[in-house]
Parts: sequence; structure tokens; C-alpha cells
Amino acid sequence: MLDDRLGGGFPRTSTLLLFSDKPTEKRVFAENFVVEGARHQETVLYVDFYRMPSLARAELSRFGRFPQDRLVFVDAISAQLMVESAEAYHVDRIDSLADTVDVIVRAIQEERPSRVVIDSMEFLSDRFPRDALLDQWRRIIAEAKAAGSVVCFLFINWTYQERDLGAIRALSDFVLEFQSSMRGGIVRNSMRISQMAEGGVRTNWIPYTFKDLIGVTVYFPRLMVTGPFNAGKSTVVKALCEKSVSIDRMGTTVAFDYGNVNITGIEAEIFGTPGQERFEFIFQIFAREVSGVLLVVDATRPEDFERAKHMLALIGPHIPYVVLANKSDLPGALKPEAVAGQMDLPDGTPVVATVATESKGVRDALLILAEMIIGVR
Amino acid sequence: MAAGIHGRLIAVLQELRRIPDVLAVALARRDGLLIAHVLPKSMDPKRIAAMAASIVGTSEMAAGEMGLGPFFQSIVDSGSAKMLATGAGEEGILITIVRTDANMGLVLLSVGKAVQAVSNLLEEAAVEPEARA
Repeated sequence: MLDDRLGGGFPRTSTLLLFSDKPTEKRVFAENFVVEGARHQETVLYVDFYRMPSLARAELSRFGRFPQDRLVFVDAISAQLMVESAEAYHVDRIDSLADTVDVIVRAIQEERPSRVVIDSMEFLSDRFPRDALLDQWRRIIAEAKAAGSVVCFLFINWTYQERDLGAIRALSDFVLEFQSSMRGGIVRNSMRISQMAEGGVRTNWIPYTFKDLIGVTVYFPRLMVTGPFNAGKSTVVKALCEKSVSIDRMGTTVAFDYGNVNITGIEAEIFGTPGQERFEFIFQIFAREVSGVLLVVDATRPEDFERAKHMLALIGPHIPYVVLANKSDLPGALKPEAVAGQMDLPDGTPVVATVATESKGVRDALLILAEMIIGVR
Repeated sequence: MAAGIHGRLIAVLQELRRIPDVLAVALARRDGLLIAHVLPKSMDPKRIAAMAASIVGTSEMAAGEMGLGPFFQSIVDSGSAKMLATGAGEEGILITIVRTDANMGLVLLSVGKAVQAVSNLLEEAAVEPEARA
């Protein structure tokens, strides 16, 4: 999905900077990037300053099967450990910046890889003078451009000032910033993509996760489905999720609905609230760290719309939401525009006509919400 | 529900309330509506009924998910009191609040008896409308 918004992924011949000021799980993104390339039968180059290529290969098997022979390493670790390298491309003189970059450049020229990952630049920035490094940085970019590669630099900034950072960002076509935070023992990773070209898109912070064999996906730890009584919230959760749990008694949700959605490139945990007022205490439990809301209303019952807005307010302010005008197949159902009008929604609030019992429109609403959260809509 | 049933349910709750260490008793439907209660003024019976329904609903699902067999009761063990939410027939939940140092043997026995009485009464009430039809 991210790829679509950037015009079909990162264009060939571009420079990516994967950047953070603290160690984060951004390597997994770079690994995903090379594995995807190899899966498309492209040659990909991985420059590794930290792991033996044999270890790196073993770790990449987490992504599942891909053609190993498409993946070429530049071994920049054996020289540090003073052992023989088994790789065709290996740095012998790790204490020389020019020699190190020479090996990388030779590998780019000879292999003409579609994707190059440099893991990672802070190894060099810690050891060599800034200006010399920036020159070599530019040289790698120029060589990658000449070979038609997308080059991806991993970089943790320990030492550089904002001005030098600005110069490094300016060298790049896309900057991917990474953040990790821990709350209550759960690590949340997120990233933000900025296109450096003038008028380029910039996304919001996008939470992501890594799964064995699947790779990196956008991950929303909490999307809420809410709305008035009998609007069809539980049915929406069921329609979205292959497997879901509904804690309901006598036709009404008494605690919550829960389901996990997994569609191309997006994973989300979906929580449905009860609709009746006497269960409002549930909101205090679940309405925390909510990324977005699907607000379900019964399009045949405009008298409930005020209640719907009240429930939205209970979850909190400034949370992206999409209105689902459900039961749109019933006689007398209001059209989405009419629902927006009667609810007096702010301009541009998306309203999707849905028939949750037949799964109609529900997934579209989720995708719209996902785009709103990511900030590309 | 027949008028007499409500009075008889209240009588069952009051009898349970008379056990030493029992502080309060209420009866809710599984969807969180209040049926009857003998709660002190400081508690909001409607909210308690709804919360008990959530606790029982969630506990029952969890028991099913983990393959623990049929659900009987949830106990919320807190600083000064315990709350027992016990399934009472298909549709009822008996909420019993007892002092934290209560004699649980006696409490559980009495709750069990009350649950039996309540589920009989609820069943009777459920059958009645059909009999009239």
C-alpha cells in the first residue's frame, strides 16, 4: 500500500536514507528491501560492516525462501576480525576509507545491482573525518545512479550536528526516519517517509511490525469500531477479520469484539465497542492509543446520529475516522452524502456506504482509514 | 415478567444478604440489564449490572478459548471486599459482594443455593409468556 502512494515503490535510481538517532529496528526494513528485490530475480548488494555474511544469510532466512544467488555481499567484517573472507567482494583495509569505498564501488560497477544496502554508515562516520566521508558518500550515490541502483543507507546519527545532517538528507531522494518507543513492556516501532523533492509527500509516523516469512507490514495496534446500538459494529468486525471473538449476550455486545486483520501490507488489531450507554465504561479500558476509528451508523436511523458523534467524542479528540453508513441496502437508507449532511460532519470526512452482512464496502472503509492514519490521503 | 416473580427474586436476594459477611447482592441479565438488587445507596446498580455482564461475558469466552470447560463464576478479589459474579441459569448473573475475610465455604454454599433458586424462578418467568400465547 505504501508503494502505491509513492508511485509504485521507490523509483529505480534513487537514494534512500534510513535514519534514526537511536538504535531502532530499521535494519529489518533494509533486509525486507533486498529480499523483495531478490524475489524479483534482481541482483541485490548488501554491504555489511557488522555481521559475517554467513550470519546475515542465516538471519535473512526469517523472510522465507528467496533466490540466495541473487544476493551479493560486500564483506566488511572479516578484516575487522582478521579472518579470511569467503566472499568475492571483501574489504581488506578497513582502516582506509578510500579502500573500503573502492570495494563497494567495484561491486556496484560489476554486479549492477537493482538494490544496494549499506549497513551502516555510522560505522564510517565514527572512524573517519566528516568531510572525507561526505565526499565518499556522494561517490557511492553517483556510482549507484550510474548503475541504475536504488541505494539505501542505514545511518544512526551519534555525532553530527543538524547542519551536516541537513546535507546528508539533501543527498537523498527519500528519508525514512525510524522511532522505537516502549510503553508497558511493548515495543512500538514506527517510521516516517519524506520525499525530499520539492512538493514531495511526507507521511505521518507509520507503525510497523515484522513477521517471520511475511516481512515488514504496516501495523495498527488498535483500531476501534464504534457506533450506536444495533448499527452493526460486531458484524463489521466479523466482516473484516477472518477470525474474531465477540463477547455478546442476547444480541448485544456486553464487553467487546476483537479481531485481527491481515490484508496486503497492513495488519491491524480491531476492537469493537458495545453500543449501549450502560457499557460506556468499556471505553475507558479500550480507548487508549487508538490509531483510528470506524464509526458505524445505521443509515436508516438518523435519530441515532447524535449518539454516534457522542461515542466518537468518548474515544478522544483528533483521531482519524471514517463513517460507515451501514445497512445501505435497506429501504429508506440515507445516501452517504445525506448521512454526512445530517451528522453535520466536517468537510472531507469520508462516509462509505456499507452492507456489513454481505461484507460490502467494509474493506474499502478500512483502507481509507489506513491511508488517513498514514497521512497520504 | 409476572409481578409475583420480581418479589420472589428479591426475597431470594434478601435471604442471601442476611448471611454474615455478605455486603450486597444484585441480579443482572447476561446482556447487562438489572433485574433486581439489594445494594447499598453508594453503588449504582445499573452500572454494576453492566460491568458484571462484561466480566462474566469475557470470563466465559476466556474459559471457552482455553478449553476450561463450562463457566460457573468469576471472583474479583480486592482490598476490602470480593465480588462474585455467578452464572444463574441461561440468562442471569448473581452478583454477591462479601467482606474480603469472609468464610468462603459458607458464602459459596449460600451463593450456590441462591443461584439454584434464581434460575428456577427465571425459567418459570421465561415459560409464562409462551403459556399465555
